[in-house]
Amino acid sequence: MSPSPPASRVYFEDVQTGVPLETPGMTLTETHAALFNSLSSARPGEPGTIPDLLPLCLSSGLGWRVPQPPLVVLAFMGFEWRFLKPTRIGDTIRSVSKTVAKRSMREGGVVIEERSILNQHGEIVQSGRLTLLVAKRPAA
Amino acid sequence: MSAHPAVYFEDIPVGEEYASPGRTVTEADVVIFAGLSGDYNVLHTDAEHMKASQFGERIAHGLLGLSIQQGLLDRVVTAQVTGPLAAVKWKFKGPIKIGDTIHVEARVTAKRDGEQPGWGVVTVARRVVNQRGETVQEGETDHLVGRRPA
Repeated sequence: MSPSPPASRVYFEDVQTGVPLETPGMTLTETHAALFNSLSSARPGEPGTIPDLLPLCLSSGLGWRVPQPPLVVLAFMGFEWRFLKPTRIGDTIRSVSKTVAKRSMREGGVVIEERSILNQHGEIVQSGRLTLLVAKRPAA
Repeated sequence: MSAHPAVYFEDIPVGEEYASPGRTVTEADVVIFAGLSGDYNVLHTDAEHMKASQFGERIAHGLLGLSIQQGLLDRVVTAQVTGPLAAVKWKFKGPIKIGDTIHVEARVTAKRDGEQPGWGVVTVARRVVNQRGETVQEGETDHLVGRRPA
């Protein structure tokens, strides 16, 4: 018996609204902060702190580690984001997201994702909405 | 070595403008950001796939551009103006390709009271511009800035 292969990609048509998706966790380390600060050349914060933009950047990678094929993103169009609590080296973050709206366009479709980043205490440290342009399923 | 004089919320004038130096975004930047963030989307990592895309080649992560512009602006403003982030509204308007050189143009557009006493919020409008003068990213950032002690 050979099971049918799982869908390897999620297209615009496959996106379901309102279904929450939680990622695995990631412990924030001195290395993350050092790599990020050297890459961005942003002014380092107080010792022990994590740069404000780093959890947001890490959450996009965490989104690849959920048990679901990746969304076929054509372009990241924009986002609105709030920074609610600082994160520190040693904190463990995870991301919870869901699609709140989708709109078909001629070339692909727009998907609005609501995302929150939580720390190990379950507190929301950052949250906001991201707008993505997603490919439509190619004609068979 | 002398410390910079302290800059408080009250000292930051609405309308003040800043222009950063440029920085060329390299393949190394994109590879390091993919490794750091874990975002290995083909947009940023598969040169062959991207030949057939609307961009024709790999593009930098949007959030890499955001991170680099933060560092560029940090080089020309005092620390307090771009203090801790409270909010960002951001649009990715065009691709940053490997080899593109970007700089930031920014302006203080608003100031308001913070939610906590002792703090104000400074809004900075920013445009990320490439070597052809095209705006590739733009948005607003809100920063927490301490008030002058009474």
